[in-house]
This record gives sequence, C-alpha cells and structure tokens, in this order.
Amino acid sequence: MKKRTVFGVLVLMLVLVQAGIAADKEDIQKYFNDTACKVKATTDPIQKREILNKSLQTMSVALARVERSGLIAQEDRAVIDNFKATLQEKQDELSGSNGYERVTDAQLNDFSDYVVQDMEQAGRYISISLIAALLIVIILVLL
Amino acid sequence: MPSSINRFSTSITRPCLIQFNRIGRAILVLFLFSCSTIPLTQRETHPGGESAFPPRYSLIFIIHGDGNYRYHDTGGKGHEADAEALKGAIRVAQQNLQAEVFIFHQIPRKHTLLFFPRRDGKFYYYRYGQMLAKESYRRHGSSRFDPEMELYHRFRAGEPTQQMKFFLYFGHEIPELGGEGYDASYPHRMFTVHDLADGLQQITPDSSKFDLIVLSTCFNGTPYTVAALAPYTRILVASPDNLHLSYFNLHPFEQLDVGLRDGDVAGFAKNFARQAFDRLTDDIQTAVTVSVYDMDRVPRYVQSVASVYQHALAALKDQKRGSFEHCDCAEDSAYVLPGMSEGVDVFYRPPRFGRSKHKLTHSGWECLRLLK
Repeated sequence: MKKRTVFGVLVLMLVLVQAGIAADKEDIQKYFNDTACKVKATTDPIQKREILNKSLQTMSVALARVERSGLIAQEDRAVIDNFKATLQEKQDELSGSNGYERVTDAQLNDFSDYVVQDMEQAGRYISISLIAALLIVIILVLL
Repeated sequence: MPSSINRFSTSITRPCLIQFNRIGRAILVLFLFSCSTIPLTQRETHPGGESAFPPRYSLIFIIHGDGNYRYHDTGGKGHEADAEALKGAIRVAQQNLQAEVFIFHQIPRKHTLLFFPRRDGKFYYYRYGQMLAKESYRRHGSSRFDPEMELYHRFRAGEPTQQMKFFLYFGHEIPELGGEGYDASYPHRMFTVHDLADGLQQITPDSSKFDLIVLSTCFNGTPYTVAALAPYTRILVASPDNLHLSYFNLHPFEQLDVGLRDGDVAGFAKNFARQAFDRLTDDIQTAVTVSVYDMDRVPRYVQSVASVYQHALAALKDQKRGSFEHCDCAEDSAYVLPGMSEGVDVFYRPPRFGRSKHKLTHSGWECLRLLK
C-alpha cells in the first residue's frame, strides 16, 4: 500500500510539472485577460484606469524582479527588456505621458482588449523561456 | 538460510513479484503499441465518396498546433487557435461537394505514462463533402512534411492538373532563418519558409502551381517569403504585419462553386482577403493587414530588393532574440523602389493604440531592422 502511494505521488508530481510548464506562458496571457474582464465589469472610468495601471505596473515589477534574480539566461534578458518597454509604453499611453495622447474614458474597454490582443498574435512563437515564464508567474502570485 | 527466514522473505517477495509481473506485462503491451512502426497511423475509413466525375477542387490545410495558440475573445473566453482553424477547415470540407480536402493538424506530442510517445498528427480526408478517412500519424521523417505528403499521395483522387488547387497554412510566423523551436514538442527541430517550399514541391512535382496559397500567419508578407513561394502558386494571401490568432475567416471557401463560378481566382482571393480584413477589424484593436500578391506581377520588385533583404537577414543571423523588429518596407528607403506596389492589393488598418496608430498606410511588404 505504501509503495503504491509513493509511486502514485511520484507520477502525480511528474504530470503536474509537465502540465505546469505548459501552462505558464498561458498564465501570463490569462493575467491580462483577467484584467480586461475586470475593466469591463465596472462602469467607473476611474476604477477602470486604476485596474489597468495596477495590472501593468505589477507585471513590470515582476519582470524587473525576474531580471534581478540572476536565474534567467542571457538571451531572455533582451526579450524581457522588450516586454518591459512595451508595458511602459502602455502605461504612458494610459496616462498620456511621454508624447502619448491619453486614452480617453470611452476607450478604456477597447484599450484593455488591445493589451490582451497585443500578447496574442500569430508571430510570438519565439518568446521567453519556460524558466523565465515560470518565475514571472511565481512572482505575480507573490505580489 | 533458516527456513523461517526463507518463508518470511518469500511471503513478502512473492506478492511483489506477481504485482511487478502484471505491471511489467502492461508496460510491455503499452510500449509495443506506442512504439510500433507498422503501421505509423491509426486509421478509420468510411465508405462512400464516389462520383462519376473527379473532384473539381483540391484543398490542403496544414494547421500547426504544437505551440502556444491560446487567445481570448472580447468576452474573455479562451480559445485554441488551431482547434478553431480545424473547425473552419472541416466546415469547408463538408460544404464543398465538388472538392477533395486534406486536413493535417499538427498537435503537441504527448506521452502515455510519461514515457511512451503518442502520435502527434491528425489527418482528415474528405471527398464530395464526406469524410472518407481519419488517421493519427507520427510527425517525423527525413524532411518536415514527409508524413503529410505520404498521406496526400495515398489518398488523392483525380488528376492534379485538372483541378483548382488551394493550400492553406495556419500557425505562427514561419521563420526565414533559424527556425529552431517552432515546434514546442521538438525544440531542436527547425522549420523555415524553405521547408514549406520543399513541401509544396512534393505536392506539385510536375511543376504545376497552386491557384492560391493562404498563409494565415504573422509577418510572412515579405519579399523573401514571396520569392520562396512564387514558383508554387499564382496568387498568395498573407499578412505582412501582425495577425491576431483568430486568423483569417474561411467563410468564402465554404462555397467554392459560388465564389469561383467564373473561374476568377484573383477576384476570389481579393474577396477572401476583404472578408478576412472586415471580420478582424470588427473586434481587433491591434493592426490588421492582409495582402494579396499576384505572383505574375511581383517578381520584378522582389528581385530588385532580394540582395538588400538577404544582407539584412545575414546581419540579423547572429543577433540575440528581441534585438530586431519587423517594419513596413516603405519605412526603409533601400526598399522603396519602382514597382513596389505593383501586383499587391493591401487591406490595412492601423492599431487603435500605440505609436503606430497614426500610420495610415502600409506598403504590403514587411522587412526587418535592428532595434536601436
């Protein structure tokens, strides 16, 4: 009985690790999709803007911590730097800074879709490694 | 050894030996099933699909699903792009009663009991609207599309030279160099535009051309890709810029007898591109670009920029990921040459947000540049 239990736990751990690795990149997409859903769920533009800003800021912080962790490969750094830069541009556009026109209250729902869809293009097969994706998701959970 | 110890050790080991024997036999059976090379496919065949006349149209769909193809609609609901493309392809196959349709769905490789690889390709064959075969197959061969080509040549009916032929590919951007990691299950396997061209040549060894090729991918409307596919098709529809994972709408392909009643493939391709563009611009906030390339009219421009583009590719070859970006070729003076717009119809809408939202036009050609 004990051998069966140990064997079963080992198998379950291997399956969960496999499933976990496959899901990490999708978790990052789901994070932004959840943001878009929360934005659309409220009618108050001030709240919409705050949800978007906080979501972008939290992801930026997670990326910065992953970079500082020293656990990611060099080739991931350039990709993460680009990712951080695009997030910063979206924050700038949301607030109307750094040469951007401020996203109007009426556009906030569409802007939340834009953030989601920008991640979901048919050109992003080259992306961050599984290790980096896993670290980002872990830090997002902890923040 | 004392008999009491003998009896004790036997009483413990005997049930374990019986258990391991049972487990061992089960594992051996599973091993033989998963590793057997004859046959490479699991097959279902269906009767029917006969007609006095050969199929008028031949359509080949290759749907890549071995990667991250998850997207969300504006309602927040998640979809798998390859599963949606498969549904669309099957609808096309069922609705066209004068066609034979080959659908190849390349899926992630999974394992039975973590160790025994399962088949990672699904093939569907339709003729006159009826499914005649559904098979699972293994995606490995000496070249990328060997398994798909073997199935294609085994099932095809009619003379290819007398059919109107269409090829549609759905997936992430097909790389022009490198190409490692395109398949998540085979991270060291490479796939580039040239592998696609080799596959097309296997389908048309007699040098006949497809009437229309559709690349439902990002960033494959480039001088390089167009040049690589020009020997194999009369018309190409592709997206030079980003393409959302909801892909091109296949509705115009569901009634080929209507859409092609006057045999005007160029007109059909433009109508298809226009409908795809209209559907995407309804919901998508990022850029939408769909180009139609007349392969009889674009070679002059493509050849005039070939060496410039090759130099750019060579320069980028050793660059790190994330160090270069795609851009409209019209933004680089080296590519702004006579004939740039000849033979290209472009449907373009800029992104609703971002720095490019004021970019009102697109040349229909995509290039690469180093990030500053």
